[in-house]
Amino acid sequence: MTGPGAPAAALAIPAERAGSDFWRRFQRSRNARLGGILVVLVTLAALGGPWLTPYRYEDTDLLAVWAEPSRAHLLGGDALGRDVLSRLIVGARVSLLVAVSVLGLTLTVGTLAGMVAGYFGGWPDALLMRTADVVFAFPELILAIVVAAMLGPGTRTVIVALAIVWWPGIARLTRSLTLGLRTELFVDAAVVSGTRPLTILARHVLPNVVPPLIVRASIGVGFIVMAEATLSFLGIGVQEPLPTWGGMIRDGLVALRTEPYLALSASAALGLTIVGFNLLGDGLRDLLDPRVLDR
Amino acid sequence: MRRALGLLPVLLVAVVLTFVANQFVPGDPITTLLSDRSGDAALEARLRAEYGLDRPLWRQFGTYVAGVLRGDFGLSFRFASTPVIDVIAPGLLVSPLLAGGALLIAVPLGVTLGVFVALRRNSLWDTLVVLLLVAGTSVPNFALAAFFVYLLSVRLGWLPVAGWGTLSQAILPVLLLAIPPTAYVARLSRTYMLEVLQQDYIRTARAKGLSRRLVVYRHALRNTLVPLLTTIGIIFGGLLSGTFVIETLFNIPGLGRMAIQSIFARDYPVTMAIVLLFTFFYAGINLVVDLLYGVIDPRIRMGATPAGRG
Repeated sequence: MTGPGAPAAALAIPAERAGSDFWRRFQRSRNARLGGILVVLVTLAALGGPWLTPYRYEDTDLLAVWAEPSRAHLLGGDALGRDVLSRLIVGARVSLLVAVSVLGLTLTVGTLAGMVAGYFGGWPDALLMRTADVVFAFPELILAIVVAAMLGPGTRTVIVALAIVWWPGIARLTRSLTLGLRTELFVDAAVVSGTRPLTILARHVLPNVVPPLIVRASIGVGFIVMAEATLSFLGIGVQEPLPTWGGMIRDGLVALRTEPYLALSASAALGLTIVGFNLLGDGLRDLLDPRVLDR
Repeated sequence: MRRALGLLPVLLVAVVLTFVANQFVPGDPITTLLSDRSGDAALEARLRAEYGLDRPLWRQFGTYVAGVLRGDFGLSFRFASTPVIDVIAPGLLVSPLLAGGALLIAVPLGVTLGVFVALRRNSLWDTLVVLLLVAGTSVPNFALAAFFVYLLSVRLGWLPVAGWGTLSQAILPVLLLAIPPTAYVARLSRTYMLEVLQQDYIRTARAKGLSRRLVVYRHALRNTLVPLLTTIGIIFGGLLSGTFVIETLFNIPGLGRMAIQSIFARDYPVTMAIVLLFTFFYAGINLVVDLLYGVIDPRIRMGATPAGRG
């Protein structure tokens, strides 16, 4: 949510302010530091994935069906006797893979569309804004659920559904940033010296749009991880045998009375990951520019 | 008024999208309906006529739009020959009840929490509560549900695990549904409060000798509430999505659970009707909020759109 009077020109961040001071202030923010640590841990788990897990995530073991936590299975086993810890670790990989894919798609499409709309105005701008209006007319998760239902469950579906929901926000943010930059002196100078519009966008507009987008993206990861988990929880997201935290929570809740370990550990993993990305994103936002975004 | 008219094309596109979505879904609904009686050509033809699927697409669309305007969403695919509206009618009141209850908790509690920490800026309280608020706004409620249900229902046995109909069965779902908006309201009121407290008129009020308490409650709080009003739309959006999860989780016969069930039963007319209802409702709330905002704060009556999603 952009505040009603947020000055667009203030969004361009002077390099020297972001540079030297940055780490000291980052260190001082307790919550941002905590977020950073959590994000590093999840990322390591995601990258290490298959090499870190004590078992293969899809291996079933009859003796480990709903096993209590023990030295063999640190977090116990699930309904099929699969090792919960291994599935949690691979779940991090699945979660982040979805998040990175969605971010990659939406940042590319959203930034391009937003810059073109903001710089040239006219019908591309009108088209973009109306499209965004339509997407925003739906509550975001409900739209994702509808798209996922249409495409049928699966990992690719989740990525597409979340990208559809997420890209207009990026595009609108880029557009408003570009609108502000268009009146800057250095852009005027480039126009006067005969630089072609596309070169101006790539050389002069893009670098100034990127920092706020980074902040937006880091907060976005939290949302995307949450949305993927929700779709998977509802059964229209990532499918078995791939482990997903949302699906594990659903399976675990059914057995919560007798075997709480699955639901609780998957919920904790999901919760800590989301909180981590949000704390980090909030911290980055406060450091880079306190006025960029409220949300 | 102009804003109200501006809503129409958006809603129309929403209707078109849901109609198109219905066309694109995998599988032929009539074949599914026939199931064990497939091959019965006469029955198939009768069903196709009854569902209007034998007519050209543009006629189907016309009928669909005309129907939606009258509150008629066509026939359900799961329950043969039953109008969608009859299928969803039992759930119509359940979801608003849940969402309304959650909102009633969320706004006062959120504002209180937000103001509480705003007045203790940079203390350990502030850090801790902000941490909790970040968790509350961002962690999906089914993950929180695992802990709450385990603690309150399984361990302590205070509340029933699931179901619907009694007050005690409603407590946990409403509470879980209320957590994200409460945290959201609290975060925003903290931010706004901190901003308001730096204004000149606050300093003036303090300088003329009014007590801190009076200044906070009379002057600052009131100006904190105005921008909060604009977020009611976002909060409702979250609550509506939340009912999908919470109703599924607690086995509550509301619209959200019905929408999910109909996705799995490939009963797309029902899914789309519920989505359309939620979208209309959401758009309506946002419109009312926009209009109210102009009434309360005349500075922004014309021109810039008040804060929305962006």
